[in-house]
Amino acid sequence: MIIGKNIHKSFGDLEVLKGVDLHVQPQEVVVLVGVSGSGKSTLLRCFNFLEMINSGEITIDGHTINPKKENLAKVRAEVGMVFQHFNLFPHKNVLENVIEAPVTVKKMNKEEAKKLGMALLRKVGLEDKADVYPSKLSGGQKQRVAIARALAMEPKVMLFDEPTSALDPELVGEVLQVMKQLAEEGMTMVVVTHEMKFAKEVADRVIMIDQGKIIESADPKNFFENPQNERTKQFIQLVE
Amino acid sequence: METIRTIYDIFITTYPGFLEAVVITLQLTAISIVLGTILGLIFALMKISKSKILQGIANLYITLIRGTPLLVQIMFLYFGITQIIILDNFWAGAIALGIHNGAYIAEIFRGAIQGIDIGQTEASRALGMTNNQAMKRIVFPQALKRSIPPLGNQFIIALKDSSLVWMIGVAELFSVANRSAAASFKQFETFIVVGFYYLVLVMIFTYIVRWYENKLDVDKA
Repeated sequence: MIIGKNIHKSFGDLEVLKGVDLHVQPQEVVVLVGVSGSGKSTLLRCFNFLEMINSGEITIDGHTINPKKENLAKVRAEVGMVFQHFNLFPHKNVLENVIEAPVTVKKMNKEEAKKLGMALLRKVGLEDKADVYPSKLSGGQKQRVAIARALAMEPKVMLFDEPTSALDPELVGEVLQVMKQLAEEGMTMVVVTHEMKFAKEVADRVIMIDQGKIIESADPKNFFENPQNERTKQFIQLVE
Repeated sequence: METIRTIYDIFITTYPGFLEAVVITLQLTAISIVLGTILGLIFALMKISKSKILQGIANLYITLIRGTPLLVQIMFLYFGITQIIILDNFWAGAIALGIHNGAYIAEIFRGAIQGIDIGQTEASRALGMTNNQAMKRIVFPQALKRSIPPLGNQFIIALKDSSLVWMIGVAELFSVANRSAAASFKQFETFIVVGFYYLVLVMIFTYIVRWYENKLDVDKA
């Protein structure tokens, strides 16, 4: 579904990604872990071209993207993204947030979009908040709206950039629950998170990124119980 | 006591003419606000664009306007432009005021747009919007709301600055007052009266801006 080949990314003199290869299969749930500054969020942002890679190749759904020639807006429309800080549109209510992109980008009929929007809000358990503005929602509710908003574009893959890191501990569960449900429905997902429980329960594969490189990639059981790399061992001890 | 009486008499005798002049002042202000807002928007977008040329043009405009007195701009435009095209002094004054306000309004819009969290643009782009769609649908509406208080302030300045076009003979409020004061030799009292007119107009402006701010806040907390 997503293939990254030899991805290099620098910010000025700082080389953040030093040749990353990652192949995400359709319906696979990949969890990226690593200490902060390791490059995991940057990698995620490269996959929908919010960051431009310096060299390497990204293929999405069998289509290799040339960022210079391609209509990147079109590419991004097929890749959903959920942000750490939600980034809901504060001047639009919950339903308007969800239907904004289908109406503006896909030119979907507004009535049709509203139906889709309500169905998605039902899915994340926020049907009753449709006409509320984001400022009135809790963090967990905001993030669930953000997930519904991303799903409204019917993306082929969903990227999650630390979706629960800005939440109060008691609100983390409701967001992870929605993500788990998505995974069970067969959504292809790449998730950057510090929630090791989620990684163990939901991931098909856990990947450790350290100093801009993938240093470990295994199914959750092997990753947590039998890590090969010394840095991974340290990391697991630290977070467990 | 004597002075208060004189002020009252002047008020009573001048108000028909003064009210006519108020209409001219409001017309000047309205035109300069509309023109200023349009120019402000255009130059703000030029200033945040990626094109160095557009940025340069916007910077030049803002530097020239902010760096020279309004009175000079009015005179320059009046004596400059009326040599090329036929323009009466009212329109020359209104356009000069509009161009002047545009530079300040451009900076208000630029600041408001750049003050919107970058996450809003990122979320829009991640959903497949083009930069134009993100600006039009997501960033600018939020920036506009944040611009209302400083814009209201600028509109009040525009109202008061419109008095300067008396220099090119537009019969607006200050100009009429000036003439009336000279004719009656009651300068002090007449300017108290005209000050009162401006004060009331500004208070009405302030009230409208505040009402609009509250309206926005109630709708979208």
